Amino acid sequence: MLAIDAAAYASPWRRVHPAVKGVFFGGLLVCALALPTWPAAPLVAAVALTAALGPARVSPRAFARAAWGPLLFILTGSLTLLVTVGGPQGAIAFDPDGPARAAEIIGRAAAAVCCQLLFALTTPLADLLPRLTRIGLPAALVETVALIYRMLFVTLDSAHRIQTAQAGRLGYSHRRAWVRSVGALGAALFVRSYDRAQRMQRGLECRGYTGELTVLVDELSLRPAAVSAAALPSVLVAAATVSYMFLGAGL
Amino acid sequence: MSGKPNAPTAADAAVGKATGGGSDAAPGKAGGGRRPVSQETGHGVTTVHEVLEVGSPDMHIAEGYLPWQHAAAWTAVAAPFVAHGVRSLTQAVRADPDAKLLVGAAGAFCFVLSALKIPSVSGSCSHPTGAGLGAVLFRPPVMAALGSITLLFQALLLAHGGLTSLGANVFSMAVVGPWVAYGAYKLVRSATASLDEQTSLGGAVFCAAALGSLATYTVTSVQLALAFPDPASGFFGSFAKFAGIFSVTQIPLAIIEGLITVVIVRLLSRVNPDQLRRLGVLRRNSAAPAAGQATDASEEKAG
Repeated sequence: MLAIDAAAYASPWRRVHPAVKGVFFGGLLVCALALPTWPAAPLVAAVALTAALGPARVSPRAFARAAWGPLLFILTGSLTLLVTVGGPQGAIAFDPDGPARAAEIIGRAAAAVCCQLLFALTTPLADLLPRLTRIGLPAALVETVALIYRMLFVTLDSAHRIQTAQAGRLGYSHRRAWVRSVGALGAALFVRSYDRAQRMQRGLECRGYTGELTVLVDELSLRPAAVSAAALPSVLVAAATVSYMFLGAGL
Repeated sequence: MSGKPNAPTAADAAVGKATGGGSDAAPGKAGGGRRPVSQETGHGVTTVHEVLEVGSPDMHIAEGYLPWQHAAAWTAVAAPFVAHGVRSLTQAVRADPDAKLLVGAAGAFCFVLSALKIPSVSGSCSHPTGAGLGAVLFRPPVMAALGSITLLFQALLLAHGGLTSLGANVFSMAVVGPWVAYGAYKLVRSATASLDEQTSLGGAVFCAAALGSLATYTVTSVQLALAFPDPASGFFGSFAKFAGIFSVTQIPLAIIEGLITVVIVRLLSRVNPDQLRRLGVLRRNSAAPAAGQATDASEEKAG
């Protein structure tokens, strides 16, 4: 299991229809991206985090671990906005407008990352993928995606076990050995993946496989009222931002 | 390989999982408690941090980092490539239902390969290792589809990259990277046709993986520079800044990725030459290097 998926399965919001969560977090995401960053981004982050840490009981630890990677990228990328190159002040100079620009991008991206991660932390992919046909994706593609998702954990498990075995034989003790071990791991995974796919094929044929992989999907009720309620926070955020802008202009 | 003692159980478990419904994959059911249980070993859990470690900035553009106009534009640019890839993938599956499971295996392989921990200057780092190898093994159109699926999973399962920035990431990692890798592979292969198979293959694969990786890194820098031009020197100054800050990790990574891919392909050509011949990576008439495959090779020659 991957940490985010494990958290999603344990989430109390797991029984909520993915469309409702999609409207809730997607609406907030659109607010964060399309509205002026100040004050929309802090509002979006506050609403998303309140909902997630309150009723959805997302563990702050799991959230922090997941958010670490994208935030690192955002911060590194924003460092470049602080300086300007090739200007009249010299090859590399401090940009006086840089901090404001960087803060705006960090705010927007951090709010958006919150929405994305909190959706991922409350929605298992196994609930989401079979419903993607409803939004017009071809069934053959969705089936392939779901199949890759199902085979992924077995492959990841193989990778982990091979890696443990290699580490036990000092396979990662120095850089040369590391390169060799990762290469051997990749080759073994390829051979095993294909072998496993062929064995699964044989197993399915023995059970009357006709080319269809039918999977039971949990029935989750989707009430229009729930969808409207999920859209409400983003409408409120948008209204608050717009009124703030007007008030700011009026003052 | 099917003679392994654990083969039937593994296949049964996998098939049971495929037909048994998504909710059965929920953690904790087998273990009783809330601790998720590994599907194959039955104990412990593979957390992502055991297989990979996020130690240095990776090149996935995060959610919300690009302005929405740029995100939409890159999605539009990547869409035709992905649509073409998806069409060739679904056609392959429709023509041969047996290919479905192989495509699934290839997709899972690409995802896990991209999640491997590889050595870098700043400790270890995750990196889309699979793109170059995938382009050589499965061709760039298929890789555009598999790469997009991998990136979607990375966004939702590993928090690498975003959903609105998926188009931008797909374009750099699943379209340009694989095409450059494939072009480099073909070029070096034809240039070194007179050399022996292993040298030619090794050189071609190294160039494919390293150049594909560098192309991905360059395109991402271009995407960021277009979104955030430098106030004084515009696009080019900004490109220099972004390329400079990421080159610290990305250039050594490209070389290491090339080396790792060579190791993978050399091992595969020794262990599984038939599969590589079927995928068109090894030449039809090339002799298998391992002694154990000598009969195979002579049969090929006779046929």
